[in-house]
Amino acid sequence: MQQKDLISKLNNLKNVKPDTAWMESNRELFLAQISNSGANELSTWKVFLINLQSASKAISQPAFALGAFMLVLVASSIFGHKLFSQAKPNDSLYIARIISEKAKLNTVFDSQERDKMAVKFAANHAKDITTVLSDPAFNNEANQDQVAKLNDSFNKEMDTVKDKMVSFVPAHKPEVKKEDIKLSDEAVSIAADNKTEKGIQISKNNDEPIVPVLSATATLKTNTTTEQASSTPVVEENIVDEAKELFDKKEYNNVTTKLNEVIENIK
Amino acid sequence: MSANIIKKFKNKQTLSRLKSRDKEVFTEVYDENVADIHRFVYFKIGSKEEANDLTSIIFLKTWNHIQNNTLEDAKTLRALLYKVARNAIIDYYREQGSRKFISINDEENPIEIASETDTSFEHQERLDQEKSLELIRSKLPLLKEEYREIIIMRFINDLTLEEIADITQKSRGNIRVLTHRALKALKELIEVDETKEPQL
Repeated sequence: MQQKDLISKLNNLKNVKPDTAWMESNRELFLAQISNSGANELSTWKVFLINLQSASKAISQPAFALGAFMLVLVASSIFGHKLFSQAKPNDSLYIARIISEKAKLNTVFDSQERDKMAVKFAANHAKDITTVLSDPAFNNEANQDQVAKLNDSFNKEMDTVKDKMVSFVPAHKPEVKKEDIKLSDEAVSIAADNKTEKGIQISKNNDEPIVPVLSATATLKTNTTTEQASSTPVVEENIVDEAKELFDKKEYNNVTTKLNEVIENIK
Repeated sequence: MSANIIKKFKNKQTLSRLKSRDKEVFTEVYDENVADIHRFVYFKIGSKEEANDLTSIIFLKTWNHIQNNTLEDAKTLRALLYKVARNAIIDYYREQGSRKFISINDEENPIEIASETDTSFEHQERLDQEKSLELIRSKLPLLKEEYREIIIMRFINDLTLEEIADITQKSRGNIRVLTHRALKALKELIEVDETKEPQL
């Protein structure tokens, strides 16, 4: 006989019941006994009060547990980041730091702010990896596996910095500004004046850009502003690439300096 | 979770109403539990008449326990009923002087199997049930007291591990192990009987 069969047969013994007549007579006898000891029917108001008390007792425990859970959740999202921020990549608490940072990122709804924060976190991770690797007590033959892992982590963090930076730093291609168009129109009008004064012929050709000869200062001004606008991302990306190169060359102190620059620029 | 809260609410409500000497709720408790308690006692002591008497005593003692506020040692009302039942059975054995041989296979008091209709198919099913029931009930008294109790509570009366742990004052892990051992012991007893049968 299988255990399953045995259990089902044991379940069949549930059908063993006392006589219905005995149950009825015993019930009557029992009610008479308890009535003598003061049992009676409760009023509706008393039953309502009992129900209220029982409900509060039954709910209070789960409500307290839920409240405590929410408190821990809120506290960990607020203070968890600060608590674990000092954990280094070779610490056991580092994973807690990563989790708390992710939790904090998820609480930021503005996508640009979130990307900024992600870049800051990634740059800090990279900086911490550099600090750990610059320690000769750790970076030796015995810890080769860990060192290799940290090297990979560094590259990943730097890729994150690069990827996320794109979303909040302006695009690379120079923008054609309204001022440029205005200046071009001005150049045409100046040239037209020259035509009347000096007899120079000027034709407005739509295919080729008009280069205002007499408004050199204005053109210079325009170019300068465009260059300034596109210089920020290029500089940032250069810093990241330089930091990567320095890391490959194991110049950890310089890497830290570069990463500090990235963090400063984000601020 | 919500089912658990409702269960908890119902239990607290019943206990509070019982403490307030609510006659109606005790009738409900009696109707819900009398068959289970009677079955538990019957399979423990093996006599139908004695089981009837003891069941009455158990319900009366439980009522007195509730009135005297001695509920703290049981988590639920059902657990309290079983605790009182166990103590009543111990008292019964004590009164008997020593534990007499128990046989549930009592021809004078055959076990009745409840059936509402009795068609030919159900009649056959009932006969099969009675046959396997006879085999099991003849083997149950041969089990150790502890094993028998666990089997009755767990597989016949469908108590949860937590409830059994509460009644017997043992840990859940301990109850799980005991259940496994009890089932194994009963299975072995039945298998021995089954191997002997063809020779007869």
